[in-house]
Amino acid sequence: MRRRGWFSDRPRVLPSPLIENFLTMPASPAKPGGPLLTADGMPLKTSLERSLKLSKIRALGLIFPPLLFLVILFVIPIGSLLTRSVDDGLSNKVLPKTLAAFERWDKTSEPDESMFEAVYLDMQAADTLDLSKLGTRMNYEKSGWRSLVKITMRGLNRIDGPPYKPAMLQLNKRWGDIEFWQSLGAMKDPVTLGYYLKAVDLKYDGNKNIMRVKKHNRIYQMLWWRTFLVSIIVTVGCLILAYPVAHLLANLPLRLSNLLMICVLMPFWTSLLVRIVSWMVMLQQNGVVNDSLVSLGMLHDENRLSMMYNFTGTVIVMTQILLPFMILPIYSVMKTIPPSYMKAAQNLGATPALAFIKVYMPQTIPGVGAGCILVFIVAIGYYITPELVGGKDGRLIGNLIAHHMQNSLNWGLASAMGAILLIAILTLYWVYDKLVGVDNMKMG
Amino acid sequence: MRNYVLTTVFSAVVAVGMIGTAQAEINVVTWGGAYAVSQQKAYGDTWKGEKINWINYNGGLGEIRTQVESGAVTWDVVDVLPDQVRTGCDEGLFESLDRGMFVPAPDGTPMDEDTMNKVPNDCVAPNIFWSYLAFYEEGTFKGEQPSTIADFFDVEKFPGKRGIHTWPNALIEMALLADGVPIDRIYEVMRTDKGIDRAFAKLDQIKDHAVFWSAGSKPIELVKSGETSMALAYNGRVGAAVLNEGEKLVPIWDGQVVEEEWWVVMKGAPNAEAAKKFLVHATAPEQQAAQAKWINYGPMRKSALDLIKANEPWHNSGVNIMPYMPTREEVLPRSIFADPSWWADYGGEISERYTSWMSQ
Repeated sequence: MRRRGWFSDRPRVLPSPLIENFLTMPASPAKPGGPLLTADGMPLKTSLERSLKLSKIRALGLIFPPLLFLVILFVIPIGSLLTRSVDDGLSNKVLPKTLAAFERWDKTSEPDESMFEAVYLDMQAADTLDLSKLGTRMNYEKSGWRSLVKITMRGLNRIDGPPYKPAMLQLNKRWGDIEFWQSLGAMKDPVTLGYYLKAVDLKYDGNKNIMRVKKHNRIYQMLWWRTFLVSIIVTVGCLILAYPVAHLLANLPLRLSNLLMICVLMPFWTSLLVRIVSWMVMLQQNGVVNDSLVSLGMLHDENRLSMMYNFTGTVIVMTQILLPFMILPIYSVMKTIPPSYMKAAQNLGATPALAFIKVYMPQTIPGVGAGCILVFIVAIGYYITPELVGGKDGRLIGNLIAHHMQNSLNWGLASAMGAILLIAILTLYWVYDKLVGVDNMKMG
Repeated sequence: MRNYVLTTVFSAVVAVGMIGTAQAEINVVTWGGAYAVSQQKAYGDTWKGEKINWINYNGGLGEIRTQVESGAVTWDVVDVLPDQVRTGCDEGLFESLDRGMFVPAPDGTPMDEDTMNKVPNDCVAPNIFWSYLAFYEEGTFKGEQPSTIADFFDVEKFPGKRGIHTWPNALIEMALLADGVPIDRIYEVMRTDKGIDRAFAKLDQIKDHAVFWSAGSKPIELVKSGETSMALAYNGRVGAAVLNEGEKLVPIWDGQVVEEEWWVVMKGAPNAEAAKKFLVHATAPEQQAAQAKWINYGPMRKSALDLIKANEPWHNSGVNIMPYMPTREEVLPRSIFADPSWWADYGGEISERYTSWMSQ
């Protein structure tokens, strides 16, 4: 059997025209009409193949470390992220009888003895650790499952034989609450889209129909929208601020532009936290900006602007922090545009403004595109700044992902949100490629 | 060349040796700031065993779960919050601890009965109580001074903004207490949808006056700078400002929400045996009491609190510490002991609702 692998699957790269000529050249044949041989009598084709194979192995050896790096740091984590976001195997592993009984149930009548028996048998047979973990997972579908499972686990030994229903109802009256039973429906399949639904304020009901969550608890759609909005505003804001700066950088005499470059890069080298805290000092209610406005009489003391710990604060601080990501790519493109183009346009009769718009600006598109993509992608997943200055309505989806990773330990939901973010960014990239062309992009 | 090889081999051996000795150290993970310092002084400086590395973290089970699931556990002892101690123990992230190894109270009471609250599982070792507390700065209000949690929610009687945190813990309880629910019925009320609606209706009264904070140092700044007239904060922060920095902040003990803080040993901790010995040391009444010399958090063990009471002035500055203790007898009748099992059940749902409420 032929080994399937790197080499055999690929079309033989070989014969470049030159080699082909060489192969068919009628030089030193062993026998007229026979295959070409090398000096040691091996057919030339085999010898060539062997040496090429060697060089390919060497090439593979060279790219192996980065390949390994890529697999370990990207492929495996993203794979595990996607798996976690749909994995719901635990409930099937721990509660097989219960879920089977659930299937037979009409979902509306009072649960009967056979269902209680199934739960009892499943819980009796289950591993304690699995059961505790499942309790946490079940709690995502209906608050209260966690303690119900715990109480039942502890009381299981006190139940001696059927009938199980009255015994379990006595352990905790919530077993009689039909909503708990109905919530099992969302967990019955080992692969679920439940986390993705949750990430957009939807959920499964007992029959796996998709429905909206309670009005009070809808937050994710709003957060997605807000994240998107903040990213757009920050990107546009950065573009407006960065374009003139980049133009100055590219056109000032070297000494001045070097100085300006240092000013651009300086914040880049400053700790993120320091920058955020200085913004707090500037923008808070009793901060520098408000104080100055009040003392100048431009603002009444009662109506101090709230620019911190809200949406505005997040936008302002993020714009400042992400500005270099916009300036640098635009600058690098502007630097390569010969000034003679503008002069030529003006010689041909264009006003400076028209020449700028018609001749100069189109040439900066690769830098603008790169800057916008860069800023938008960084902004959409931003986390630390909104956490610190977001306050009541400036926190973004990244903060919720962190919350579910760190505190609620709902990694399924965090993964689903991460995956949605990833898809959003890939889509954006694809759209950009269609509109402007990725080859056109110049990062710096 | 030979020399070069020798040096390399030598340094490799030294490095391996250092890893070997590193395993004999205990990595203790806790919150930073004055709190960590108090632990280092009370538990660390009095410990005669292995070297202790104090590591800071920002709470949460994320890192803990990652370490345990990947099998690369580097932490030994962790200081964790009440709901996380329950979830973490359920998930098998912590070692279960032999209850017999701990030091009993001087009168012979076993440790688990010497704690001021019920021990939730076998993973935990007692640490401290802290609380969410309302406070204001002296001189903020003319005439009558705020003295109850209902005053905190009354922006007409006591004008000005209110600093509150960006997550719902303690706020739901305080809102209900301020709305007139008796203390012993609060969690009963919170188990009903109506009760939660009632809490949010009360929160609505301060919503337009609320400034939200998420870092523990913030509320002190908010009140001192005058941005808010009152705020909720961790009692330790208010205490530190008063005791160490001489600020004129006035705590409102009425309606404080008392939370637990526990020690745990990581499942698969590299130095589990030494870690357990360290916890036996750290949870002994003398060490528990000693912590209060440095910060006003309440020791979890009754015998430790008795020790402090009997030896006032206890705080290192020469001040009586008991008036700043969240667990002293006088304030207990009007304190709410947070119910972590309620929060483990309903916390997720309430956080969503709170987030949605906050940003509307």
